[in-house]
Amino acid sequence: MSTSAVHLIDLTKQYPQSTKPAVSNLTLHIPEGAVYGLLGPNGAGKSTTVMMLCGLMRPDAGTVNVLGMDMETQSVEIRKKIGVASQDIALFPTLTAYENLFYFGRMYGMSGSMIRQQIDKYLHVFGLTEKSKKIVHTFSGGMKRRLNLMAALLHQPKLVILDEPTAGVDVQSRNMILDFLMLLKSEGTTIIYSSHVLEEAERICSHLGVIDEGKLITEGTLVDIMNTHSDCQSLEQLFLKLTGKNIRD
Amino acid sequence: MKTLATIYKEFLLLVRDPGGLALIFIMPLALVIVMALVQDAPFRDYQEIKLDVLFVDQDGDSLSAKVKQAFDASPNVNLVVKTDTAEVKQLVRSGAFKAAIVIPANSSETLREKTRQLIVKVFSNFGLTEAPKDSLDIAAIGIKILFDPAIKSNYKQTLTGGVQKIVASIQAEWILDELQNQLSEGRTDVKKTPVNLTEIIQVNEQYASEKKYEGLMLNSVQHNVPAWTMFAMFFILYPLAGNFIKEREEGSMLRLRLISGSQFPVISGKFAFYFMVCLLQFILMIAVGIYIMPLLGLSKLVLGTNILGILLVACSVAMAATGYGVLIGVYFRTPQQALSFGSVSVVILSAIGGVWVPVYVMPEILQTLSRFSPMSWGLEAFNDLFLRQASIQSILPNVLRLTGFSLVALFISVIIHKSRTIL
Repeated sequence: MSTSAVHLIDLTKQYPQSTKPAVSNLTLHIPEGAVYGLLGPNGAGKSTTVMMLCGLMRPDAGTVNVLGMDMETQSVEIRKKIGVASQDIALFPTLTAYENLFYFGRMYGMSGSMIRQQIDKYLHVFGLTEKSKKIVHTFSGGMKRRLNLMAALLHQPKLVILDEPTAGVDVQSRNMILDFLMLLKSEGTTIIYSSHVLEEAERICSHLGVIDEGKLITEGTLVDIMNTHSDCQSLEQLFLKLTGKNIRD
Repeated sequence: MKTLATIYKEFLLLVRDPGGLALIFIMPLALVIVMALVQDAPFRDYQEIKLDVLFVDQDGDSLSAKVKQAFDASPNVNLVVKTDTAEVKQLVRSGAFKAAIVIPANSSETLREKTRQLIVKVFSNFGLTEAPKDSLDIAAIGIKILFDPAIKSNYKQTLTGGVQKIVASIQAEWILDELQNQLSEGRTDVKKTPVNLTEIIQVNEQYASEKKYEGLMLNSVQHNVPAWTMFAMFFILYPLAGNFIKEREEGSMLRLRLISGSQFPVISGKFAFYFMVCLLQFILMIAVGIYIMPLLGLSKLVLGTNILGILLVACSVAMAATGYGVLIGVYFRTPQQALSFGSVSVVILSAIGGVWVPVYVMPEILQTLSRFSPMSWGLEAFNDLFLRQASIQSILPNVLRLTGFSLVALFISVIIHKSRTIL
């Protein structure tokens, strides 16, 4: 068994207003260096799992182990080593791209020279060098999404958690983001990728975990899972086979 | 470094928000000027207002002459002489004049006769003279004071009290005069001494302040500048809490929550920046009191001598205002809730704190409640410094209350913020 970047064991969480748990006895194993597609329909428990994984929510039961550290006792250390790009654009709209990145860099505790170096690198990678002095609220959706991702990567995290990183962006931006994620993977960064765009998952993920109603349905490498369900021609077919065709709200 | 970064970030956010800048700096300046102008007249009631009063002299003798002379010398009353009583009544009833004094015919003669009879009776009781043959039963002199129903009660009391005082003084002088007449009856060797009762007792008004500031008292500028400055400082919650909630809604707060060790710098940075904004507001408003108010015909704001004390109170008020803003921003989940509650609560705290009208003119229950308003603590401390030239020790209890209020608000904010950081 490969070394785990993330190991969730029997994780359970039930919200006070709810009659059934959002996550129930969930056990996930995310290998180091993997691009792990965390898939599931709406309300499957993906967001709750990610929240517990980031230390923003305490599980009712079970343990969260990230990069060899226990979330209960080492959440401060863990947070220093993870980068999260949520589905929402978590930026200050009236600051420039550069000001946003510099501020987040400072909050990560980075030195000025290190921040500048990282900002220059990512602005170039994501094609935003020319726009670095522009106020963010003048940016297109794709530019904001790229900047949002840059803010999560500034401190060179070992584990990157991405929630719908390509939502609302044009084809070119999406392609740029996916290419970059592949580059990140090649550098050994572990990526947890949550999305409803299964073609993207199929393109970049090495591993998959499909959850529904708070429970793990299947987990493994993309190749193994597709081989197990050889009747499915695509990941989308497999997903519908595993989670059903009923509409989820 | 993280706190400094947050301060700089808050600075950038504010300078790029023209509405927020106007709310923090322009509106309070306009507010303090307007309120000082509006409240100038009520504050002058007790000191500088000159009241036009109609005067009808049907007596035409010494009593009316003395009353007129006394009011002519008063800085608060301007007598307008009329002869027609019906016209005077009409003028007062219509509100054209607030009051009229009517001295009936023969008032002097009646007073003289009553005085003479009184002295004769007293002398006869001692056997110094024969009992008076004429009756003492003469009707009292009926000096009339007509008032406009809309007159303020303090004007009414001032005028009535003034007339009573003058009449009492004349009466006493005449009694002494008559006394001398009776005692010197039939004697040519005794010269009458003119009587001046005001020389016996003199009432001097003095303020218990330092000589340099003698005569300085609460006026519209001295009240409104510190009062509305504090009001404006507490309104810092508007941009502060609004910003806090906006960041939460936009998601940037979530990113900060995910960054290890970012919570203290986020709150302390916001607190430090808005604390400095509050101090800047204070300096601007004080400058308006000193330099702009006199240009508008108002008094100049006098700060007193204790500049360190003023700085101390300004800092403690800024801390209290900022702490309260942070608490509102952390506690409420939507801008509507925070800003509605925040602004209404500041208005209530200011009302019971004596910002709108001084606490001492409020009903007793509000005076009791005012002890719980941070604005009352601040205002009391500013009045102590500006008007009473108080020492640091005197203002320390209020400074500690304000600082304590701020620390409690921050402590609660941190607990709430923390409880929401990890669900």
